[in-house]
Amino acid sequence: MNYTFQFGVVWRDLGALMDGALVTFQLGLLAFWGGALIGLAGAALKTFGPRPVRALVDTYVVFLTNTPALIQIYFLYFGLAEFRIRWSGEFCLLLGLTLNAGAYLTMIMRAGFLSVRRAEMEAGEVLGMTRLQQISYIIAPHIARTIYPALANFFIVILVMGTSIGAVIGVDELTGTAITLATVNYRWLEYFTVVAGLYIVLTLIASVGLALFGRWAFRVKARVF
Amino acid sequence: MPHLEVRDVVARYGSHEVLSGVSLDVDRGEVVALVGPSGSGKSTVLRVLVGLLQPVSGSVRVGGQAVDYRSAGQVRAIRNRMAIVFQQYNLFQNMDVMRNVTLAPIRIKRRDRREVETLAVALLERVGLGQKLHAFPDELSGGQQQRVAIARALALRPEILLLDEVTSALDPELVNEVLDVIRDLAREGMTMILVSHEMAFVREVADRVVMMDKGQVIESGPPAEILDAPRTERAREFFGKILRH
Repeated sequence: MNYTFQFGVVWRDLGALMDGALVTFQLGLLAFWGGALIGLAGAALKTFGPRPVRALVDTYVVFLTNTPALIQIYFLYFGLAEFRIRWSGEFCLLLGLTLNAGAYLTMIMRAGFLSVRRAEMEAGEVLGMTRLQQISYIIAPHIARTIYPALANFFIVILVMGTSIGAVIGVDELTGTAITLATVNYRWLEYFTVVAGLYIVLTLIASVGLALFGRWAFRVKARVF
Repeated sequence: MPHLEVRDVVARYGSHEVLSGVSLDVDRGEVVALVGPSGSGKSTVLRVLVGLLQPVSGSVRVGGQAVDYRSAGQVRAIRNRMAIVFQQYNLFQNMDVMRNVTLAPIRIKRRDRREVETLAVALLERVGLGQKLHAFPDELSGGQQQRVAIARALALRPEILLLDEVTSALDPELVNEVLDVIRDLAREGMTMILVSHEMAFVREVADRVVMMDKGQVIESGPPAEILDAPRTERAREFFGKILRH
């Protein structure tokens, strides 16, 4: 191989790449929180809701988990444009990722709902707790603790895989920024090497943060590394 | 007049009748042991008393007052007077020992925090867990968890303590530490109904033994009488099986 690496141009663009990384992080975080809210509502409705509502939640989950996120975002960006609904790339990406995450998180949180021990609920009941008190003192902390590792993993998935879809609809997140810059000077290999490094840094920051938070808030016994 | 008076209670799980007319009296300070084969309805009696299973018919009177288990308010009131300890301890896994014991008195019963915390520490010391105030349930042995559960029940200052096979889930070497606590409580005059398979313990601690079978009380009397000279064939057969070894 006769390729000569020239990282000089990439270093010059490091500022732009860091901006991209920040956009990636923000998009990941927003989509995750939005998805978590949808997931919580979805799981609650799926567990306690009437039959038609449960069917509706199932339909949503099946459609969004069994089609590629890329197609869902294309649909929002290009598909809706045919109906004169033109949203920005950023908005379509965020909305698509949020809806997609909501479907996956509905399933994850549903598992949490199902794992609450009936016996603990009974213990709460005989101590005089109302249903609402049982939910806030027993169910909610229990669910948080049980599903936290799955949630943390899923955040990394959105952060790395989800947001990079932005590149194909012109969003200046990390991957998109690199592609835009590389088309100018053809230093693809250098840009992507640095971008990969930045993704790893992002992931490490997120993992350590999540592990520490989980340990502090829910006594999740996760290793930081 | 007995402190607790259970009359002709019938209870069902779905269509299956688990209690077919159970009557039972418990005096203040008395320790009553419910014994009998599994499925005979012993635990169900306790579940009915604390309002986890609504009786179909029959009556329960505590301190002379009839309890209406269809009324949420009355069920809540009865849970101020009776506390239950389960076979599987059922501690709140997400809370440390202190919070397990103090949560209900402080947050649910709205008692003074300082007073409850002092009581909780005293109770936990008394069950031998003064060193484990801030341990979490998954860091404790079964015997320790069960002793926390007993302290949690006592923190409610119940008039009657219900113990549902509290040693059945424990490793044999951990059984005694829990029985010691119960023995102490009996000595201090705590009114208790205990479901147990530990016949030697029942003989030692119970004032009265009530033998149940197929959802009915078939014999009741002092331990020596019931355990050593059962009148019914069914009781003879049961004790013959479990007392042989």
